[in-house]
Amino acid sequence: MTLMNCLILAFLLFGIGVWGLMRRRHLIGMLISIELMLNAANINFISFAYFSASDSTAGALFSIFVIAVTACEMAIALAIIVSMYRRYKSLDVEQLRDLHD
Amino acid sequence: MYIPNFIIPDLLLLLFPFIVIGSRLFCTDRSKVPWRIANIGFIAIFVLLNFIPLSGGVGRFFITNWHIDDFGVLMREVLMVSAILGIWLAKDYFEHGGDGKPAMHQIAEFIGTVAFATFGGFTVVSACDLLTFFLGLEIATIPMYALAAWNKRDQYGSEAATKYILMGSVATAFELFGFSYLYGFAGSIHFDSIQHAVASGSSPLLWIAVLFLFAGIGFKLTLFPFYTWAPDVYEGAPTPVTAILSVTSKATAIAFLVVLVYGPLSPIKEQVAPFIALLAGTTLFVGNLGALKQSRLRRFMAYSSIAQAGYIMVALLGDAVMGKTAIIYYLFVYAISNYLAFFIFGIIGHHREETFDSLRGLSKQKPTLAIALAVAMFSLAGIPPLAGFFGKFHLFFSGASTGHYGIVAFAVLNNVLALYYYLQLIKSAWIDDTDEHLNPLRMTKRQRNVIVLLTVAVIVLGVLPFLSDNIFAGFTF
Repeated sequence: MTLMNCLILAFLLFGIGVWGLMRRRHLIGMLISIELMLNAANINFISFAYFSASDSTAGALFSIFVIAVTACEMAIALAIIVSMYRRYKSLDVEQLRDLHD
Repeated sequence: MYIPNFIIPDLLLLLFPFIVIGSRLFCTDRSKVPWRIANIGFIAIFVLLNFIPLSGGVGRFFITNWHIDDFGVLMREVLMVSAILGIWLAKDYFEHGGDGKPAMHQIAEFIGTVAFATFGGFTVVSACDLLTFFLGLEIATIPMYALAAWNKRDQYGSEAATKYILMGSVATAFELFGFSYLYGFAGSIHFDSIQHAVASGSSPLLWIAVLFLFAGIGFKLTLFPFYTWAPDVYEGAPTPVTAILSVTSKATAIAFLVVLVYGPLSPIKEQVAPFIALLAGTTLFVGNLGALKQSRLRRFMAYSSIAQAGYIMVALLGDAVMGKTAIIYYLFVYAISNYLAFFIFGIIGHHREETFDSLRGLSKQKPTLAIALAVAMFSLAGIPPLAGFFGKFHLFFSGASTGHYGIVAFAVLNNVLALYYYLQLIKSAWIDDTDEHLNPLRMTKRQRNVIVLLTVAVIVLGVLPFLSDNIFAGFTF
């Protein structure tokens, strides 16, 4: 296992996340795609910390902070999505059409 | 000289939301105590910040990753002005509904959330490593998601918040990916080490990092390809939240770019400059074009603030002292003019629909409001005697000082376009005939006082340039 392998893995994960975000029409599916993108960044941090960085503690710590911050973000996102669901009784993004030009 | 006491305002602001929210436990629902505490606290922090003498020089470090310098202090003042005006604007929406929506609840928690967002801005301007920087940006953004959905009984609010949080999380992911490559490139998260590494040679890794970082911040700053969420969110969120979004969130995002471009990325600034110029030019053009065809007030303000973000980007092309000075001065002016406009739209939205047509006959019914509206719009458009002109002048001067005449000329030409739509708003208020079916407007005492105060501030900041000299004088970063 080399640094390049890890970076390619992370990049693929990020790409899958972006692709899922554009293809998915379901709010929870989109959130999972975003989670994939954030975790791709985590893999990057950890592999840089393990293979190349002069300050390797920082990279490992960074990924732990990212996990905590992501948890906060997802908590708020789920709360907002629950309030959406109460109103529309579905989680399809196609219904987000009340605000437009 | 910077002495250790200068960290006191930051600590107070960190403590402040807990005090305000905690005070709710000891008083009834209708009590005014949390509101009073909030006012006293915010104003006290703002006054304390003003006691810090701007001495120039390098600033001061606290525990190696908290850095206070002149830019940081002035940005803190901008953010505090925005927070104070934001809660004053919000207060009325907790007493009665506005824009055809029911009244909001839990003012103490609302103020606490605004304070957290402001603290996030403080963190961004004082960070000197990537981790603090990232945390600051998130502390500034996550409360905004909650604020956008504050009115649970308003369907537009939850739709706006959903769009905002999806776009915001994607932006976070892009930024984080950029940070990870920057860390991989430099091998450290400290800004000094990164700047050192960037100066000693670039690699594809660095350029990928820069690309991702600009894409991420482009979402938050509503730059050209990533601005599409802004009009929807600005229209759907409650009016005070829209105002806070358009000032606090934008100021934080600009501060992020300033810290990055004049800090770790400063050795490659000349290579990044064409990229910044391209983003600035497209953003202000798209914002201006979008605003031309709007008929609803808040959607119009959204496009106007997209265009303003483009103008501010122009100043990033200048060198450090000039660019930072121009940006801070413009942010002060922008905050005051924007809040003035939102106070007026808030009064109109309380009694009427939020459209251009609701402004008809304003000059006959409420001459004070019509004058204030004209002042706000002329300042945003940049008409000479008002503060907005001097703000824009410094922005363009900063851009031109490093020889980027093309983008400055483009921005000035675009200003003519901007003047057209700002004038349309004034035409509705001053020239169009009165519509008899419109509801009469009433102002509370607080609203009248704030509108008079802000109008005077916009005029005084412009016609007494020594006030702005105060910001500029003896000011080396």
